[in-house]
Order: sequence, then C-alpha cells, then structure tokens
Amino acid sequence: MNVVIEVENLRKTYGEIKAVNNISFKVAQGEIFGMLGPNGAGKTTTMEIVEGLRIADSGRVFVLGMDVKRRQRKIKAAIGVQLQTTSLYPRLKVHEVIDLFGSFFLKALPPDELIELVKLEDSRNKLCMNLSGGQQQRLSVALALVNDPQILFFDEPTSGLDPQARHNIWDVIKFAQEKGKTIFLTTHYMEEAERLCERVAIIDHGEIIAMGRPDKLIDQYFHEEAIEFQLDQSIGEDALHQLAGATNVVEENGKVTVYSGSVPLTISALMEMAKQKDMKLTELYVRRATLEDVFLKLTGRRIRD
Amino acid sequence: MKVVQKLLVANIKQFLRERSALFWTFAFPIFFILIFGAVFSGGDNINFSVGLVVQDDSPAAQGLTEILKQVPAFELNVGEEEAELQALKDGDRRAVIIVPSGFGEAISQGSKGDIDIYYDSTQTSSIQILLPIVRRVLDEYDRTIGHTPSLIQIQEKTLQTRDIRAIDYLVPGILAMALMQLGIFAAMPLVVERENRVLKRLGATPLRRSTMILSAVIFRLMIAVGQAALIIIVAKLVFHVPMLGSWFFLTGVIILGTLTFLAMGYMMSAFAKTQETAMPMLMAVQFPMMFLSGIFFPTEMMPSFMRPIMDAMPLTYLGDSLRQIMVDSSALHSHLINVGVLGGWFAVCLIVAVRFFKWE
Repeated sequence: MNVVIEVENLRKTYGEIKAVNNISFKVAQGEIFGMLGPNGAGKTTTMEIVEGLRIADSGRVFVLGMDVKRRQRKIKAAIGVQLQTTSLYPRLKVHEVIDLFGSFFLKALPPDELIELVKLEDSRNKLCMNLSGGQQQRLSVALALVNDPQILFFDEPTSGLDPQARHNIWDVIKFAQEKGKTIFLTTHYMEEAERLCERVAIIDHGEIIAMGRPDKLIDQYFHEEAIEFQLDQSIGEDALHQLAGATNVVEENGKVTVYSGSVPLTISALMEMAKQKDMKLTELYVRRATLEDVFLKLTGRRIRD
Repeated sequence: MKVVQKLLVANIKQFLRERSALFWTFAFPIFFILIFGAVFSGGDNINFSVGLVVQDDSPAAQGLTEILKQVPAFELNVGEEEAELQALKDGDRRAVIIVPSGFGEAISQGSKGDIDIYYDSTQTSSIQILLPIVRRVLDEYDRTIGHTPSLIQIQEKTLQTRDIRAIDYLVPGILAMALMQLGIFAAMPLVVERENRVLKRLGATPLRRSTMILSAVIFRLMIAVGQAALIIIVAKLVFHVPMLGSWFFLTGVIILGTLTFLAMGYMMSAFAKTQETAMPMLMAVQFPMMFLSGIFFPTEMMPSFMRPIMDAMPLTYLGDSLRQIMVDSSALHSHLINVGVLGGWFAVCLIVAVRFFKWE
C-alpha cells in the first residue's frame, strides 16, 4: 500500500472545544477515503489541516511524503480542493473562472476539457451568479481538478443537492478515481459513504470511533438485519424486545426498527403479536444494516440530528 | 506577472459587469459636479431687479437716471410710483428708487436733493448688497455734479492672481472625495470574499497573497486615474475649471492619495468580521471626513474647536494638494506637508493592516 496521506495524533482545540481529538489515519494511493459524521464532528477541521489551510495544535501530517507545516506551496500545487459553500467570482463566466484558476498553477488542464468532464457545456458562458446550486457545485469540482492533482479533497461535495445532481457529482468523483487519483471526502450522508467510499472513518466529537470498509464495518457491528415498520399505537420497546430473534429495538415517533438475527422468525412472531393486539402495521420492510445503524449503535444518536 | 495580469483582467471584467458599481464610481461624482456647478454658477452675475420712478424732469434727474441705467448689477425698470411699489410688494422688484419732483430744483439751488428708496426688509441678504451699491452710485453722482475730484480712489485687486470661483474650489474637492471613497470601500470586496470563503479557496492554491493584493491595488489605481480624468474633463468642458499645475505632479498626488485610502480601507477590513459590521464602520469614517476636511467649503467657515479634527484628517491634505495643483488656490499647507502627512497615514494604516489582517 502506497500511502499518500498520513495523519498521526492530530489535535486542534478552539477554546474549550476539542474539535480534533487525537486523530490518526492513513490514505492509500488511488482509494476513495471518506470521513462520515454529523455536523460539527471535526471532519472539516481535520480536512483543512491536511490541506494546509489550518494549523494543528499538535500531531504530524504528511501529504505525498511532505510535511504540511514545511512544504505548503509544493503540496498545494499537487492537490485539488473543493470547499463547502464557496461562491467564487459571481460576475465571471464559467470558462473564465476555470481559466483564471488554472493560471495559479504551473500546469493546468484546458478549461473546455474540464467543462466537458463536469457536464457544464451548456453553461460555459454563463456568469457564475446565474448557476444553479448543482451547477455551482460541479464548477467547484472542475476547479478542484484544474491542476490535474494527485489528491482530491471534497468537503461535503453533495450537501444540499437534489438526487440527480448528487449522482452527477458521484460520477465525476468515480471518474477521477479511474484516472488514478486519490480522493479524500467528508460527508454526513450515510448513502454517499457506503456507495462511494472504499474506506470510511466514522467520526464523532473529534474522535474516530470506527474505521474500515463500509461492508466490513457493518458486518463487524451487525450480524442481523433491520425490520422497519410504522405502528398506529405504542406498545413499548419491552414487548418488541421479546419477539423471537430480536436483538435490539429502536422506536422513534411511531417508526420502529427491530434488529434481528433471524428475519423469518421475528416477522412471524411480529405478525402473531399484531393479530393478538389488533395493531395496525404499515410500511413494513426488511433491509440490511447500514453505516447509519453502526453510528446509532456506537453513539446512541443518528448522524443527522 | 502573468497571474497579476489575469487577476487584473478578471477584476476589470467583474467591475464592468456590475452596473451599480459603474454608476457609483463614474456617474455619481459627475452628477455631483453638475449639480453643485449649476447651483453655484448663478453667483457669478448677480442681477437685481430695481424699479425707478422719476417724478422730476430736470437735467439732474435725467443724469441720475442715466447713471443708474449703467449699473451692471441692476436690471432697471422705469415706471409709475404705484405700479412699481406694487411690483415690490409682489416680489418682482428688490427695491424701488423714487426721484421726487423738486429734486433738480433743490440741487441747482445748492441744497440737498432727497431720494426715496423702498425695499423689502425681509430680503436682508440682497439688501445688504443692494444698498451699498446705490449709495456708491449716488456718491459718484454727487461728486460729478459737485465738481469735487475724489482724492482717494480705490483700486480693487484680489490677492490671488486669478479669481477662484466656487466651482473651481469644489472640483478638486470632489475629486479628493471620489478617491477617498474608492480607497476606503475597497475594503468591502475583501470582507465579502473572506466571509464567502473565497480567500480560503484561493489560499488552497499556490497563488501568493502578495500577488493577489498587488493586482487588487493596481486595479484600484486604474479606476482612480480613470475617475480623475473623467472629473477633470467634465469640469473643464462644462464649467471651464482650469488645470493649471503640473500633470505629472497631479498624477503623483492622485496615486498617493488613492494608496493612502486603500491602506485605510484594508486596515478597517482587518477589524470588521462581516459585511454588516464593515459598512457602518466605513460610513463612520467617510462621512466626517467628507464634511470636516474642507473639500466642499473653505475650512475658515468652521468653528475653531474643530480645527484639530480637520488637521488630523488625511482628506484635508489631499483636497488642499489637489486644489493647489489644479486651480492654484492659496495653500493651507505646503506641498511638502501635504505629501508628508498623506505618506504618514499610508505607512501607519499599512502597518496596522498587515499586523491585524486575518485571511479567515
């Protein structure tokens, strides 16, 4: 494994708040590495320290083998960065902004090639202020790619986008990986982490609480699947706990999740109970456990609270 | 250098695409000049409508009539007493002069001839100008008929080689104001870009901050020179405001003044975290400067306790310097002091800005 990002015992404190509390991880060349966690967990702070935009209180960070404290300009020339909610030059046209950003680097890709890559051909001559949220985000991705970087950093790349715009961004990220680039992204979308990332670090309160391949992580914490349904009356978690095969129960506003090691057994017991107590049971479905369930199990909270 | 040029072109494009910025930068100072110019241009030839009623047909009365007709400040209306007094009441006359019958006879007999002047006592300002003129005309007339040569003659000479009209005084002041606003408000884009994380995004590229600031300063200087040229040309074409001094020196002072206020703007942007705090801060600095630094009216009109405030403001020195160069006005301070104070302000603001400015 050829390591391109190496972070050791990173700490950063703002007043009383430990934004980053002793974080260590490595990112291998060519992989998509994601940091999953709720807002304020310390994802952005960690990422910006790695990019050289913030200075850590302690710990060591190496990017492409170079110390971020000493070789900032050299590192910046070799990475591509996309930040949360950056509205750049509102009165420049799309191709003008890309051209301008290219001039900041020694070598840059031609603007039209990037415009094609992020599918902004129709908006090439539009002013940035007139772009939609999804187009802005795609432009932002194009700008991160302008210097044909070895490592790409995406901070919440699909935050606030509709599903179609989100899939567009995912396609571009996957394409970049196929081109041999390493990708480090942060997200608070469980689905994004599961579908896009080869490895995720789940982060909460400035600490990494679990790290690994998404499917392995789920397997590690769950041998069971999740049965979800809506109830018209509350019967209490205790009653549900006694269902055959049930390992855990979470009830929220009438929405019940029963984790079960044996789905057929649990479901038939559930049906029996519904018949006896004359409960109305709707939207029943079975799904495999997700990273959201892992987070819930580890912290007792949902990612998007 | 290539990057400076690219950023400069980007700045210019953005600027040209923002109509309100164009308006405030170029049209606003011109409106200022046109409006003030129109207001003050009436002051150059004051005309008083004066009624004259002659009830005496002696040569003496005719002589007086002729002399009054020659007073350039008077627009003389000869008529009947009743009609002229009514015109005075209606506000159509500033004064009515009546030469009663028996005037000529009295003079030819060597006694005093009486003349009546009616005026509206509420019109104090015009009366203060009008009555002395009438008195002087009568004195002059008195002397010619009395054949007593006047021993003392007043030769009117102003201290300056040329007269400074109000508009001449004003135009360099408006230029100074425009440069001050241009410089101080350059802080706004910086505050906005920091708030929108544009500065942070740029910080993630190898772009040097010095390159960024350099191109922004060159951009502002270009606007300053353009603005100055436009103001000088319009003032020259419309109001014949001269440009007497050295163009080279003028350009130098324009650049120094712009740099000083740019540094002041950047200094303030170091202390304003958001647009909402920056705006009132900039206003609080620019308004007192606009009205207390004598760019619109001479500082002699201000009460003396305000002098220290005026003496501290850089705009006072920029205005004075531009005025001296352009219309050769009497100096408040020597060129050396003007340039020195501007340079001092520039240095102090720059040091504070560099020390306290945060990029995030």
